[in-house]
Amino acid sequence: MVSDPTWRHWLSQLRTQGSSKRRAIIPVALDATAYNTPNELRELNFLRPAGLPLTNLNDLLVAYEKHRLNQKTSLEEHQQAETVDSLVRSLLKQLTETLTRLLLPRSKNEVIPSQLNAVDIAPPKVSIFLSHAKADGRVPAQRLRDYIYSQTQMAAFFDENDIAISSVFSKVLNYSLDSPTTAAMIAVRSARYAERPWCRREVSLFRKPQKVDNLSVGVGTNEQWRLHPLIVVEAMDDGCKSLGVPEFGNAPTVRWSTDIPDIEEQIVTRVIRDALLGTYHSALAASIPAEPGKLRLILNWLPDPTTLLHVIRNHPDQELQIIYPGQGLAGAELDILYEFFPQIWFYSFEEILSSVTNYALGRILIRLLP
Amino acid sequence: MEHLRDLLLQLARPILRTGASLAYAGNWLEDEGNFTFDLLRLISAEQEDNSLGGPDTNIQLGLLYNHSAWPHYLKVTARIEAQWINCCRIVRITQQMAGICDPDLVPDQEATTESARSKFNGAICLSAMRRLTMSPLVLDIPDAPSILIPAIEARIIMGGKVEGFSGFMPGLFEEALVTLEHNKPLFILGGFGGGAQILADGILRSSGNYPSELGLEWHKEKSMNFARFLDETKNFNLPTNVDSSERAFKKLANYLDKANSDAVSTLNTGLSTEDAIQLLTTSNPHQAVKLVRKGLIALGLLPSA
Repeated sequence: MVSDPTWRHWLSQLRTQGSSKRRAIIPVALDATAYNTPNELRELNFLRPAGLPLTNLNDLLVAYEKHRLNQKTSLEEHQQAETVDSLVRSLLKQLTETLTRLLLPRSKNEVIPSQLNAVDIAPPKVSIFLSHAKADGRVPAQRLRDYIYSQTQMAAFFDENDIAISSVFSKVLNYSLDSPTTAAMIAVRSARYAERPWCRREVSLFRKPQKVDNLSVGVGTNEQWRLHPLIVVEAMDDGCKSLGVPEFGNAPTVRWSTDIPDIEEQIVTRVIRDALLGTYHSALAASIPAEPGKLRLILNWLPDPTTLLHVIRNHPDQELQIIYPGQGLAGAELDILYEFFPQIWFYSFEEILSSVTNYALGRILIRLLP
Repeated sequence: MEHLRDLLLQLARPILRTGASLAYAGNWLEDEGNFTFDLLRLISAEQEDNSLGGPDTNIQLGLLYNHSAWPHYLKVTARIEAQWINCCRIVRITQQMAGICDPDLVPDQEATTESARSKFNGAICLSAMRRLTMSPLVLDIPDAPSILIPAIEARIIMGGKVEGFSGFMPGLFEEALVTLEHNKPLFILGGFGGGAQILADGILRSSGNYPSELGLEWHKEKSMNFARFLDETKNFNLPTNVDSSERAFKKLANYLDKANSDAVSTLNTGLSTEDAIQLLTTSNPHQAVKLVRKGLIALGLLPSA
């Protein structure tokens, strides 16, 4: 790609063609010669996956494929597969962060220096809110914070570092939770977490969906709602007891372990990937058609009773449709939702965007069955 | 060889800084006598100086054009090319560009065989390369604008081997010949040995004799490989724009005779007779560099200082 003249010509045109459209170019350096691309790309900051350069590439790829297909591998092949896996993970991680940063909506109040323009500079850093109880949740939270700052281009809101001495604790907290750059929360659920009021308040505020917009779509109106993702890091010691935290709802949980290498990477990558998906689903919401005479509430997360209560507050007892991402919840989950919210019809994006008729009939049958 | 390297860099740097480009048909091996990487490192260093906001910022720097004939360019990997892409354009002279017709083409995978045909085609490509460099060359690029490779405007020769060559005559001799045929300036630095010294002797004949190395027979006697090559390929057809060894050596001798009578107009260096002769004989690198610059300025190929 770097040496071939046809490729070079195409690369040099990439930034200038179709400039009326918003376009992001993310160059990835798989080799040192990547920095010899044409000027128009060279001046961008490249993604640089860890573990490069690779030597004996063919052998590595064969070993990686065997490992991926769970075939028997020799010790050497196993190590080779690990090398490729490490590179792939590094690339995925960096790409996920970059895309999340690009896709999160920018604040209308963002200040751009006069000598730059908004297209040339990256959006502000994505921030992850680390909620934890200091009594027994500090260690995992610190490790996550340190990982975020040393291994990513993201920032972490960690109250010890980010709430200045003498500032009003609650105001700074609320500001951070509300900030457009706060893309996700990691809640370190230790034994004492549930009984800490500030922790409960943080997660409660974070898990409160925000209405984004009323989308006028043809003959009807859809309400669009957004919720940033939460991951719960289960950090209770063996045998410990704790109260439940209903605010967690259906947020995914990862068990903390000091025996698993790169546990921080797994957690942070997971939550930022969820943030990227959430942003994608918010964008997809615009393509959900309205239905005449019906109010549709479009979510960018999978609904659970806790978050739904916020969403339907302004429409008590009104027949509604809740449209959520993906291909459809499992039957057991839908049953619970219908039990809590008998006035609501639940549809997935997939159901709406493909054939509405067939699924509507199916849905009626499910509601009629005892 | 170190003195030639230093001389080369002293000549190249000011030329590059005027925005003029260099052409050098060296190979891509880091070995004694090949200066490709020295030139690349020079250009790379100049580019870096230029980009650091120093006093030389915003100088338009030249590039290196590396003309590479089949099959030698087969050894140039994509990685090598990518590594030096900002300093160098590799111009591949294929068998087709050299005028070899389809039935006589040798597949690339057979290029390293020692067959008479593959050696013959290699020699044709070398000759064609030296000739093609004297005119602008347009390279068609699929789905992209064509690339124009500029013609050589002047040639500087120094050192150079006269044995172990793979063409129809030593490369340095053939380069001198095509330059003279196109009436382009030819700067021969004859005081530093090698083929350039032999050419200078062929012009000046200070010992009274025409150097035997400038004759075909000498090479046939000196090298069994060369003699065998000529014998094995005597019935092969040459493309119309390529001279046989015999014809090339004769042509060169004619030009050297002319230069013996009138060095100034034959060599066309922009130098006076005295300076032209001094350039052919001096072994002082600074003097040689000074004279080359003087000539290039007089020809309008370099701006005056």
